[in-house]
Amino acid sequence: MDFSVIANNFGYFMLGAWPNGPLGGAALTLVLSVVSAIASGVLGLVFGIALAMTRGAAHSVLLLGLGFFRAIPVIMLIFWTYFLLPILFGIDVPGTGTVVVALSLIGGSYLAHSVHAGIASLPPGQWQAAAALGLSRGQALRLVILPQALPIMVPSFINQWVALVKDTSLAYVIGVGELSFVATQVSNREMVYPTEIFLFVALVYFIFCSTLELCANRVARRFGTVEG
Amino acid sequence: MLDELLAPKYLGWLIGGFGVTLLLSALVSVAASVLGLGLCLARVAHSPLWSWPARAWLSVFRNTPLLVQLFFWYFGASALMPENLLIWLNTPHEWDLKLFGVRWPSFEYLAGFFGLTLYTAAFIAEEFRSGVRGVPAGQVAAAQALGFTPLQVWLNVVMPQAFRISLPPLLGQYMNAVKNSSLTMAIGLAELSYASRQVETETFKTFQAFGIATTLYIATIIVIELAGQWLQRRKPAPGASH
Repeated sequence: MDFSVIANNFGYFMLGAWPNGPLGGAALTLVLSVVSAIASGVLGLVFGIALAMTRGAAHSVLLLGLGFFRAIPVIMLIFWTYFLLPILFGIDVPGTGTVVVALSLIGGSYLAHSVHAGIASLPPGQWQAAAALGLSRGQALRLVILPQALPIMVPSFINQWVALVKDTSLAYVIGVGELSFVATQVSNREMVYPTEIFLFVALVYFIFCSTLELCANRVARRFGTVEG
Repeated sequence: MLDELLAPKYLGWLIGGFGVTLLLSALVSVAASVLGLGLCLARVAHSPLWSWPARAWLSVFRNTPLLVQLFFWYFGASALMPENLLIWLNTPHEWDLKLFGVRWPSFEYLAGFFGLTLYTAAFIAEEFRSGVRGVPAGQVAAAQALGFTPLQVWLNVVMPQAFRISLPPLLGQYMNAVKNSSLTMAIGLAELSYASRQVETETFKTFQAFGIATTLYIATIIVIELAGQWLQRRKPAPGASH
């Protein structure tokens, strides 16, 4: 084991070619994760609320659409967005944008079900009481249901975000220079230290993900749904 | 009619890739279930000699990306292996099992199977563990009161109930195994995603190539889902019906 290869390329692992080129490495992994986490959170809330508020045909269509994103591998969705986004918008979409769209759609589809489950877990009396007070369904949702349901959902949001951090590594397949891609670049250039390089890269991801996981456990304990 | 979609040659590539995906994910599901059960037992053991290594395994394998793990096994582990073992793994071995000959898999296949199994097992272990926790403590106490040995309590009381509780999430993990097998394309295994990419580059028929691959993935997931619903109806989880 010779970890000097890590020390010699440390800047490249962390930042990519930046500031002389585009941002890459672990920093780009973080940027991709944060942007997709926010976007998937918003999508999850919107579709989860839509699931809770719709009945009949609209509900089924929504379920089918979300089911589609949950049934296909992330790599397939990255292929699709890579190919379809430029056609849809008529502009060249950079690889980073493609990955963010794909990860947000998949993350949002999973979160929508958590949001729906969170809303459904409240006793129906909450809706009835809000209606009895003269609140509309929208007002009831905003003022009565969501303030109680959102804290319940926090752990599943964080767990989904851990999965998302790991999935940013799939940007590799379309050549986005995040941490995994940079690792294979260095590994191909140096030829002789793949073990050290991939151990180090795994450690960086491990730090990101386990930090998030610790947060999830702490939040879960605080809201009384203890895990583990 | 399929000729207009894609030439038979390319359809063949996709079907071949689908075969690799199905076989790989089936083998991974079986191996990871066995390993995951062992991990779960170690994790719930009272002795820290068992539970701490299991905790470490779960934490490391669940909190690092599968892609990096595959790269590690494919590039990294082969650099650590003794040369003789590597040569042995890379040379084809033939077994003639009367009915069908078993071909020695490629190193990509071995690394993919190994990496996917270790990753999936970590998730399956946690599903089993929540199943075990779902068995009411009174069940164990009652079995002990009836004079069951600890092993009998596990085999006859806890495990059958825990297995039924964890069946739906377990099937979810098998679906993940199917989807995650697509990552082995990054180490050069010619499974379905790899094949769809190949067909796309050769024919420029992007819709057909990705469309067929996507449909095959969805069909597989639907079949697992239906199998799960059928099993659930035959063996409802305890407490689901009285």
